Amino acid sequence: MTPLLTVHGLNKTYKEKGRSVHALRDVSLSINSGECVGVVGESGSGKSTLVRLLLALEQPDSGESLLDGVPMLSLKGKKLREMRQHMQVVFQDPSSALNQRLPIWRSVMEPLDNFKHVLPAFLADVRHSRLETAKKLLEMVGLQANHLERYPYELSGGQKQRVAIARGISLGPKLLICDEPTSSLDVSVQAQMLKLLTALKRELGMAYLFISHDITAVSIMSDRFIVMKEGRIVDRFSRGQLLGEERHEYTKQLLAAAT
Amino acid sequence: MRTVITGLTRSKAGRKRWSRSRRSRLTTVGISILAVMVLLAFIGPLMVHNDPLTVNMSERLLAPSWQYPIGTDHLGRCLFSRLAAGAQTTLGIAALALAAVMIIGIPIGLLEGYKRGRADAVLMRMVDAIGAFPDFIMAIAFTGFLGPSLTNLMLSIILVNWIGYARVVRSIVLSEREKEYVLAARAAGCSSWTIIRRHLLPNIISPVIVLAALDIGKIILIIASLSYVGLGGQPPSPEWGAMLNDGRPYFQSNPSLMIYPGLAIMLVVISCNLISEGVRDRLDVKSI
Amino acid sequence: MNQAAGKSIKREAPIVSIEPVLQLENLYICADKGKEHRLLVKDLSLVIRPGETFALVGESGSGKSVTASAVLGLLPHNLQVTEGHILLSGEDIGRLPDKKRRKLRGSKIGFVFQDYQSSFTPFIKLGAQLIETLRSHRSCSRKEAKQAALEWLEQAGLPAERVYESYPFQLSGGQLQRAAMASAMMLEPALLIADEPTTALDVLAGERVLDLLAKLQAKTACAVLLISHDLRHVMKRADTVAVMRHGQLLEQNRADRMERDAGHPYTRMLLEAKPDLMELERMHQSTLSAEA
Repeated sequence: MTPLLTVHGLNKTYKEKGRSVHALRDVSLSINSGECVGVVGESGSGKSTLVRLLLALEQPDSGESLLDGVPMLSLKGKKLREMRQHMQVVFQDPSSALNQRLPIWRSVMEPLDNFKHVLPAFLADVRHSRLETAKKLLEMVGLQANHLERYPYELSGGQKQRVAIARGISLGPKLLICDEPTSSLDVSVQAQMLKLLTALKRELGMAYLFISHDITAVSIMSDRFIVMKEGRIVDRFSRGQLLGEERHEYTKQLLAAAT
Repeated sequence: MRTVITGLTRSKAGRKRWSRSRRSRLTTVGISILAVMVLLAFIGPLMVHNDPLTVNMSERLLAPSWQYPIGTDHLGRCLFSRLAAGAQTTLGIAALALAAVMIIGIPIGLLEGYKRGRADAVLMRMVDAIGAFPDFIMAIAFTGFLGPSLTNLMLSIILVNWIGYARVVRSIVLSEREKEYVLAARAAGCSSWTIIRRHLLPNIISPVIVLAALDIGKIILIIASLSYVGLGGQPPSPEWGAMLNDGRPYFQSNPSLMIYPGLAIMLVVISCNLISEGVRDRLDVKSI
Repeated sequence: MNQAAGKSIKREAPIVSIEPVLQLENLYICADKGKEHRLLVKDLSLVIRPGETFALVGESGSGKSVTASAVLGLLPHNLQVTEGHILLSGEDIGRLPDKKRRKLRGSKIGFVFQDYQSSFTPFIKLGAQLIETLRSHRSCSRKEAKQAALEWLEQAGLPAERVYESYPFQLSGGQLQRAAMASAMMLEPALLIADEPTTALDVLAGERVLDLLAKLQAKTACAVLLISHDLRHVMKRADTVAVMRHGQLLEQNRADRMERDAGHPYTRMLLEAKPDLMELERMHQSTLSAEA
């Protein structure tokens, strides 16, 4: 079975104030359909750069990323936009990931408005009506319809993140990239969010790339782990191997800090 | 919760609120003055049926009367009618110049900020080069070269001033386009045009309005000043600055020839500044 | 503590009552929004003893940060303490005039915030800021202040000379937070309030900050009020843990007993929200081996 996402040798260097920052060094990974791959890394590990490159929001210096066999990073313009429907994102800070000037329904419907012809199975019966679609999406993430008219500043952090998730699943993507989705939230809300993400994954059959600096959160969600440090992948393992002796020193440090 | 480390005491916050209401009162004053001026431009000629351009040497330098509400000038023309016509000219040209400046500057700023191609660097250097000239000097050079007229004056103003808007818009777009909500919009499949229209444009509106309100006063001053030195409105054009110039030889005997146009210019510029401050206040408070 | 010099007169030893560093008695804090009054903190009472690490845990909006602001005298103008007392080493500081309150900040009560950027002025070098802090509360020469600042930076595990000469933007979040902590502890306050000091940091950086906190606390014997939204995280580091919700104190216990004795359903929920990683992994391992 060919993986859903295959990433080969991604490299990215930023030039900042005369210094070169090697954000990503030779990063390769793969994700299978329906699987959740967790990436654990601290700030400076390159995980945010990885997200931007995978989403084709920036170009790498070298390397390729294949979604369903299609080389994403070689695409431009309309062709690239067409492929975007299969890969969506939930960012860390819902306050900055939602346009503060737009009401919630606008933000939730934005992906579907861009892809009017796309009809995810779970929205089949409501797609004819924008209002019904928006309501259904909010319902799926545990929010009520009256939130549609509200503005981001009227919602709590957890509610805003649910909106971001509703937006992320609206196109029925094959892959959902979750970039630190719980890091801006209180511990009590984090658990709910992870439950929601797990339920949605099962219901919609999506694959996840779950990125976080919190190894506990990653281990709740993921089937496979990748540990990043300073732009490189330093460790890869599956669930159940986390406590193994053969783990990288850095992984062990992260574990010790989390327990 | 982000606590204010400066420790804003109750009295300080109270003082802040008072000065804000005072400023909004001043803004109302500014708006009313400008409204009066604009009204003058339109209704003036309907109220006083004197031709601002006809020379009538027998009626020169008359004192205020029913026929001539504020008297006549050195060529027998009704001062009030000339002021009203001048309002049309000055304000009209200033508004036109501002509109042109915004129509040119804003889209360029948007495209440059968002696309950031190789053209961006070239354009910005050009912009810096032009922008290095103070607009006054530019206007003098332009009108001196092409010949003094209101049209040439307007062209030179447009040539120099579109840069300010392009710069402001570009810098806002540059900073906003890296924000997460713009990235999210791109990931959601929005085209560049949609992103500019829906996400970036609303952010530039308030700074641009503030800039525009301030610029209008500046442009009016340039028009008036250059007409005063003979490089803008040519006789018999009733432009305020030109009227000031015309009234110079008669300052000792009939100061009203200079006082009225001078007052008009001053009031309009002050009111524009007050409005710009008020607009900035209102829009600042709204933004989170 | 006084040591009676060599006298061995037998006396009826008085009951040595250790004066608490901070005592909140029936505190009520109210928010005014036009005509609306909203109670943010209701009937809050707690006691922090010298040398104790007291963790105050709650979700956003529980009132924990508001309480900290009240103690520091930094409530925004639309919030006020309507009832109750704040006693610092026995003195009711709520009644003090602003000027005296300001003096307490820094010298008696130190603080470290979640947003480490705001602890320092961005365009002044750290060394200069540390010296200014020292010299505004103590009379000492520049040389002495510099010496002390370098020592404290050293204690914080930072490359002292380099950090001294750096601007805030040149340091990472973790480094800046440790510098902020050193800066606060430098004045040897009786109480340090740390409001979510690690929330904005990565796990490893956060651990280093908390390790430093413990180290400096041992050195200065100060009390610490540690505010957080993560119960499990602070349980390891605190002596006493109190859980707040909607402005009220729900449960308070010794940290080592909390897991076992947690009575309130909300506390249980907080404990369960973040499962133990080891437990999780062992569960996975046993599932895998059961399948094999």
